Amino acid sequence: MTSIRKNKIFMGLLYILVFLLLSEWLRPVIELTETGHHRLFLAFVALGLIMAFFDMPWWITGPLKLFYVLWFIVYVYTGNLFFTAESLAFVVEQASVSLSALFSQDWQATTDVFRTVLFFALLWMAIYLIHYWVSFRLSIFLFYLLTVIFVAVLDTFSPYSGDTAIVRIMVIGLLLAGLLHLARWMERHGAAEKTDKLLVFSIPLLLLLVASTAFAFYLPKADPIWPDPVPYITSYSGKGGVGEGGVGRIGYGVDDSQLGGSFVSDDTTVFRTEVEEGQYWKVEVKDVYTTKGWELSEEDADEQLYRNGDEVTTDFPPAGEERSSALVDMQLPFPFVLYPYGTASFLMEETLDYRYDPVQQRFDTLQDSIAFEPNVYEVFYSEPSYSLTALRETDIEDLSELPPEYDRYLQLPDELPDRVGQLAEEIAAGSDTVYGQTQAVERYFGSNGFEYSQSGIAIPEEGQDYVDQFLFETQRGYCDNFSTSMVVLLRSLDIPARWVKGFNEGEVIDTVDGYDVYEVTNNNAHSWVEAYMPGVGWMMFEPTIGFTGASSIDFDLEIDATEPEEEEMPDRPEPEPEAQPEQPDAGAGADASPTAGERFLSFVSENAGKLIASTIGLLLFAFILFKIRKKWMPKVLIPYYRRKQADAETFEKAYLRLLKQLELYGIKRAPGQTLRSYAEYVDSFYGTKEMTKLTAAYEKAVYGGDAQSVDWRELKESWENLINRTSG
Amino acid sequence: MKATERLGKVIDNIEKVIIGKREIAELSLVALLSHGHVLLEDVPGVGKTMLVRALAKSVGADFKRIQFTPDLLPSDVVGVSIYNPKDMQFHFRPGPIMGNIVLADEINRTSPKTQSALLEAMEEASVTTDGVTMQIPKPFFVMATQNPIEYEGTYPLPEAQLDRFLLRVKMGYPTRQEEIEVLTRSQAIPPIEELESVLTLEELLELQEEVRTIRVDDTIRTYIVELATQTRRDPYVYLGVSPRGSIALMKAAQAYAMLKGRDYVTPDDIQYLAKFVFGHRIMLRSEARYDGITAEELTERIIAKTHVPVQRLVNQ
Repeated sequence: MTSIRKNKIFMGLLYILVFLLLSEWLRPVIELTETGHHRLFLAFVALGLIMAFFDMPWWITGPLKLFYVLWFIVYVYTGNLFFTAESLAFVVEQASVSLSALFSQDWQATTDVFRTVLFFALLWMAIYLIHYWVSFRLSIFLFYLLTVIFVAVLDTFSPYSGDTAIVRIMVIGLLLAGLLHLARWMERHGAAEKTDKLLVFSIPLLLLLVASTAFAFYLPKADPIWPDPVPYITSYSGKGGVGEGGVGRIGYGVDDSQLGGSFVSDDTTVFRTEVEEGQYWKVEVKDVYTTKGWELSEEDADEQLYRNGDEVTTDFPPAGEERSSALVDMQLPFPFVLYPYGTASFLMEETLDYRYDPVQQRFDTLQDSIAFEPNVYEVFYSEPSYSLTALRETDIEDLSELPPEYDRYLQLPDELPDRVGQLAEEIAAGSDTVYGQTQAVERYFGSNGFEYSQSGIAIPEEGQDYVDQFLFETQRGYCDNFSTSMVVLLRSLDIPARWVKGFNEGEVIDTVDGYDVYEVTNNNAHSWVEAYMPGVGWMMFEPTIGFTGASSIDFDLEIDATEPEEEEMPDRPEPEPEAQPEQPDAGAGADASPTAGERFLSFVSENAGKLIASTIGLLLFAFILFKIRKKWMPKVLIPYYRRKQADAETFEKAYLRLLKQLELYGIKRAPGQTLRSYAEYVDSFYGTKEMTKLTAAYEKAVYGGDAQSVDWRELKESWENLINRTSG
Repeated sequence: MKATERLGKVIDNIEKVIIGKREIAELSLVALLSHGHVLLEDVPGVGKTMLVRALAKSVGADFKRIQFTPDLLPSDVVGVSIYNPKDMQFHFRPGPIMGNIVLADEINRTSPKTQSALLEAMEEASVTTDGVTMQIPKPFFVMATQNPIEYEGTYPLPEAQLDRFLLRVKMGYPTRQEEIEVLTRSQAIPPIEELESVLTLEELLELQEEVRTIRVDDTIRTYIVELATQTRRDPYVYLGVSPRGSIALMKAAQAYAMLKGRDYVTPDDIQYLAKFVFGHRIMLRSEARYDGITAEELTERIIAKTHVPVQRLVNQ
């Protein structure tokens, strides 16, 4: 076969396109793994492709590539531009370390150098495969499709932004696939030698490509109709929405009077804690909303002083007598203690005072009236549990009879736009209890197009309200946006509410004696909501989407029913002789994450319309595809049967398939009609003799039991001829 | 020379004498090859005798003819022992049945007793008189004719005896063109006299053996049984096709396939032969007669609605 493959210019062009496509793979991989030396890897790919292009024998390409890999290691890891005795010794040492790690199956011990080598091996393989696809199969579609999927997935689930990459890939891939198709076509029609012809043929391809790209570029693009799946997925793992790859800086701050704006991620550890169950760690609350942020009211309150072991009084009294304990090991100096819901008492080695201010609700630590920054302390708590029955009886009428000290939790700025209040009414309509209304507000964000993001978050301008901007304009933000908005909405409904600052549960890094060790970093700095339920008390709420805080109250009835189990924890140093009971699982109460199943169900219920619509769409599409199958089936069947082994079995299947196709075409065979009379009819219909020929062979194979006599190679042409006619 | 070519020669030979009756000639040959017998049902004078004579001549077989009359006795058919005063012994004088190819003309005119003597001989291929069993020479082929049974003075054959015939064939009148040709030919010497044999009896016996080797696939067997079962279920049918009918259809199909030069049976063979094999084996209810449906039509209907097997059977 004199082949298009011999045309070096054409093949060169193909290889350049392949290089571009491969580099699109490499780019996100290198970016995401924070691997340096992007260019050197690309150079390796280029080297491999060039050698493949010139069809060099393996005994040249192999050593050359190996040499390159070696050089890369030496250059990158020792900084030497050339091989020196020292650098070679390094390589040998690395090799021995990695090999011994490999043989002892100690995967952790393998070195970066080893992983680099593996990566190169992978690249090598990829180059070889692509080379094979392009020069032997003249087909790239599968690889092209995989590239698109790969980048799309990365774009969705990782910080890598494939916005422009996907366009480049589409253009390169289409061009490549088009050229290869052209090459296959020319090869089949024996028009391979003429390069000028190739040029002529590729003009329409290029025009089409340019036109479609331009068309796509200028067309308006709809926003994605699905909610971003990432918050849903990450929320299963309890990681919260604080991505590591973000751009801002995050952490606990004191000044909240100007909220908004992006922030930088900061994984400085704040504290570690040994605790049975992840807790939300409260620092303080704020009660005055200023249209831009939060401040503390001037109001004086009676400060309380507690000592080690004293029973403290907060708005969240511990549930029952049993106490859980958490050991908190502070890593950053804070002049206060963080505390979980239902805190009963604190314990520290040092002698000091805990000053509790009921307005700010912060436990400042003081030693001889001077601020003290604790290192390690233990906190005893029992998470509050709420009776669902009581919550269902929270009467809206009771709100008007609240004593005046709740007024400051109903404060709203005069400038607050009216539409916020209207929205609150809309959300609350349909709920006839305080708890119901609060829940409605809490859930509002999950299903109305709100998006969790830490980057590109707007700062309200002069005269603009922070909440109003978030609710009606941006709908994009992080915890502060969600929590502040919820407080404002609740206050619009006359439900007392306040803004809480603290940390969420963090990440489990270890397990000690049945306790999980959580590491809480600045990334876990968080804000949420507390609201007052008449007759029940204060409750926490978690409006931020993707966070698994105290959002689900459905468990409350179960909590009431479950008695905490007593369990000895002998290995823990206990300051009191009394054993510290462990809270059972159900005690997670308000903080428990909904299970994956529940999240899935809520996802389904929230997007039911879209899901139904797309299911109907899919079904419709499948139905249409099924209906018009006679049109496209031959296009699938011919290559399929061409590729199959040329034996009698294939022939029989192909023949039966042809019968089906003919039936689809409308040439029906009556049940009592024999194949021969049908074949005669088909032949008279098409004016051929091919069906009779095929049928005779088929009869001989099936009725005559003489499969050996069938020569599918010879019959194939007749079969293809007929099956092509059925698509007409 | 292949079987199909030899048989083709026989047919061609017959066609020299009988015009436009190639189908009947083929069917006769099918019956001859599969050890069967044919019941020709038609009015006199359409060439039944001529056909059988031509067939006999073509295969070099001994041809006998029995004209059945109401007073014919079984001994007139099978033969009779006659006392020879010289050696004081009874000597068997073979009747006309002792031939290779026998034309039993107007079989429904004779008494059931004589009919059954003939049919027994056909089934057993031997005759027994005075305690002595005599083998009829092979091949043995009977072509019986009968006038349509509504005629006066006939003894219709009972079903059990009809079953003994492999095929029932209706001859029919020749077309106008064919009849003109018949007249032209009869002006000269009757061509039957000049007919020569194209097949020896030994060859014929060989071919009879060869027919058994023709392949009948499981799919075909299933198809035959399905057709037979359908005749038993049909509401118009009083008595359906017996398993003997199924066997007959298979054997006939084997012979027909050989005639057509194939070494396997196809559904087309079955469909073609079914009405000849089943026609006289199906007893219709009187409703069918009121509706004007014949057994042949019924067979065609069943064929039209029974699924032809087009796929290899798997695991059966």
